[in-house]
Amino acid sequence: MDMDDALQTFIAEGRELLEDMEAALLGIEHDPENPETVNAIFRAAHTIKGSAGLFGLDYLVSFTHVVESVLDQVRAGELAVSTDLVAVLLTSCDHLSDLLSWVSTGEENLNDDMQRKSASIEQRLSTYLSGSSVAADVVESSAQEADAAAAEENDVCAAQDAAVSDQDLWHLSLRFGHDVLRHGMDPVSFIRYLATLGTIHHIETLWDELPAADKMDPESCYTGFEISFISDESKETIENVFEFVREESSIRIFTPDSRREEYIRLIQELPEEDMKIGEILVRCGTLTRCELEAALSSQQQSDESLKPIGEYLLEEKAVQPEVMSAALNKQKSVKDARPPEASLIRVDAEKLDTLINLVGELIIAGAGTNMIAQRSGMPDLMEATETLSRLVEEVRDSALNLRMVQIGATFNRFQRVVRDVSQELGKDIVLKISGGETELDKTVVEKIADPLTHLVRNAMDHGIEAADIREAKGKPAQGNLKLNAYHDAGSIVIEVSDDGGGLSKEKILSKAIDRGLISDGSGMADKEIFNLIFEAGFSTADQISNLSGRGVGMDVVRRNIEALRGTVELDSEPGKGTTVKIRLPLTLAIIDGFLVGVGNSGYVIPLDMVVECVEYGAWKESGSNSSCLNLRGEVLPYIRLGDYFDEASSGQRRERESVVVVRYGEHKVGLVVDRLMGEFQTVIKPLGRMFSRISGISGFTILGSGEVVLILDVPGLVQEAESYFSEHEKRAISA
Amino acid sequence: MAKPEVKEAYPSGDDEGLTQQQYLTFMLGGETFAIGILAIKEIIEYGNLTEVPRMPEFIRGVINLRGAVVPVIDLSARFGKRATQVARRTCIVILEVDNGDGDTQDIGILVDAVNEVLEIPESDIEPAPSFGASIKSQFINGMGKVNERFVIILDIGHILLIDELSALAAGQPEMEEAIAQDDEA
Repeated sequence: MDMDDALQTFIAEGRELLEDMEAALLGIEHDPENPETVNAIFRAAHTIKGSAGLFGLDYLVSFTHVVESVLDQVRAGELAVSTDLVAVLLTSCDHLSDLLSWVSTGEENLNDDMQRKSASIEQRLSTYLSGSSVAADVVESSAQEADAAAAEENDVCAAQDAAVSDQDLWHLSLRFGHDVLRHGMDPVSFIRYLATLGTIHHIETLWDELPAADKMDPESCYTGFEISFISDESKETIENVFEFVREESSIRIFTPDSRREEYIRLIQELPEEDMKIGEILVRCGTLTRCELEAALSSQQQSDESLKPIGEYLLEEKAVQPEVMSAALNKQKSVKDARPPEASLIRVDAEKLDTLINLVGELIIAGAGTNMIAQRSGMPDLMEATETLSRLVEEVRDSALNLRMVQIGATFNRFQRVVRDVSQELGKDIVLKISGGETELDKTVVEKIADPLTHLVRNAMDHGIEAADIREAKGKPAQGNLKLNAYHDAGSIVIEVSDDGGGLSKEKILSKAIDRGLISDGSGMADKEIFNLIFEAGFSTADQISNLSGRGVGMDVVRRNIEALRGTVELDSEPGKGTTVKIRLPLTLAIIDGFLVGVGNSGYVIPLDMVVECVEYGAWKESGSNSSCLNLRGEVLPYIRLGDYFDEASSGQRRERESVVVVRYGEHKVGLVVDRLMGEFQTVIKPLGRMFSRISGISGFTILGSGEVVLILDVPGLVQEAESYFSEHEKRAISA
Repeated sequence: MAKPEVKEAYPSGDDEGLTQQQYLTFMLGGETFAIGILAIKEIIEYGNLTEVPRMPEFIRGVINLRGAVVPVIDLSARFGKRATQVARRTCIVILEVDNGDGDTQDIGILVDAVNEVLEIPESDIEPAPSFGASIKSQFINGMGKVNERFVIILDIGHILLIDELSALAAGQPEMEEAIAQDDEA
């Protein structure tokens, strides 16, 4: 593999691990008892250290090592989790992220600044380290050779050999997976950790799997160990030692009271020769020679039919019940705690895009085939194409699903923002997240983070009051900030709400008049007034803090959201709080479209936004010339698309005109068209730079016939119709 | 008029410097123009064009180029002359232009007819005249001498500057004016 590519992967993975680590650190504050969280943090640090070692990034290894040592003590229960410790670890986390950025610059050594920072954090961390613990012992570089260490362990064993020969022994049979080193795990450190739980009586290193030198991959692990062990710990504790490698390695643990049959099975199951394993067991002191002989001979007789392994284990009581239930619980909690980790495949985004492009072309081609089939009138062919298009639809949905990610990860990032900012502001604020499982397109997720940060900071800075003011108002001292997401009519809605003081209408109005944004506030609805704060150059905060209040925030937020074809709206109740609603399209690639004809052209309306279609004739005959229609008693502003797009009408309007009622958010608008042409699956082709400033159109699509048609920008049209309508009304009133 | 033919195809062992001197010549409003062939992706027959409403005259519309939507520019209208009348030999030349983001975009240009691919050695190329040409001088890369006649070698990067086109599309002529003034200064 190209080292550069590998390094990029390392940096990307490192960042993800740091994110996990940060999330876990924030979680541990609330739930210090959860061993899974500690393990997650440890695992992250450990993996970064291991990978950094592979790349020879010494500065990263040495810093991470200190972090890891502290975490190791936490894991071993020698160090209690405190707010201070979490703070230091979070700082370390940030510094690690800086170090990773440094790695990407390609410089070999750190500059003085970074070095000083490393040193100062290391200093802070080392105050937590209790001198001569085992963790501190692991100071050697992570790329240590297994054999040297194993030899070391051998000596230790030999020394203790005589003392314990008559004691009953645990037996551990370890075959590490080939990939453990690549995953940043050093087999030796597991054995070291094991040694903290008891005494290693004897250790045998197995080299059988080691291939010839020319076939050997130096990054793979080929070693296995047979260990006899003295300990008073429970089986579960000992099993937990190997938690990180359990999946890829074969780890067998035998209690001191294990029966001969289990050893026989071990002998049978291991890939090495029976005799050799037997010999090793004898050497380890697990079996006596005559026990072995008896075992091997009984093995030949016991040709019983194979029982399912679980049944056998239970029968043999190899698995102690509490271990079993603990394992099951563990599995469950692991599943709950970290579903994304194990089941992900890293795929190049470009490959995904190619796939989606191909699916797009497939849909176009499919639509073409459908059209021909319809025209041919052959029932068999029509049936076949029907089946085909259903499948294509499914392929489309799953292809698009690949791009969909849950917004939860983005939301969770704000735990840290809220924690930091609330400390900075001296306010006590908790973040409540709901709807984290709501999915939306990855590109949208990436671009929504910045506007959300602005909104969250704003809510904390301006929205939520200081604790004493809150108490004076009779509210709980702790402020609440909520992030919520849900799907609604083809869009995703993200809400940021706080239970702070709310917005002051008077303040906004006077400011807006001050800034010349409006001339006077009479006749403006509350909502319109609130939404003035999204205008450029508006800031209601009297004091400018370093968090927000420079008056650039809100209009940037709106611009960013509009660039994603979304809208933003704000609602506020004095004394109760403020809610900002962001509405975004679900996907940027493929939609179900509704094709309509205007003049000689076709236009596509996203089907999700179509409410109903009504005949226009009735209204036309009534000769009403107002800017809105009466839809079953409802006022419906409308746009004649033919006029809007200057379509040359074909002389007199022979066709039966229809009104397509579309909805966006809370607004409904009627679009008058000449023809209704039915549903189509459409692939959105972006407008591209050349048409980026066009109004009323949001994209192109290609029909089955190969013709390019335009997709209507419903939000834009709705907005335009609304403003035209209200203007018209005003004129009508003043006239 | 001769059928479009490749007069000087890529000889084997050709190097970059040589291909740089090859140009596609085409007709537009009775005049001969040339474009360096490196920017050209393909030439297709005119047809199946979808008009985009509320666009200036020089943006003729968009076409479906094997699944990609490609805008088509009426070069004649872009030069401030009358819009191209579609005839039997009307072609769309697909060009790959820099979109200003370090990325490329395909744009089609509408021409009356394509002629041939010519080799014009650098020694036969004169700088653009500061006045007197039928189109704005900033659109011209140089004047190539072919058979004792001059063909105008176009500066495609300038003519199809995406930012400028999109500004014009939105009805903002200032940018072009600004450039024109820059040029005169």
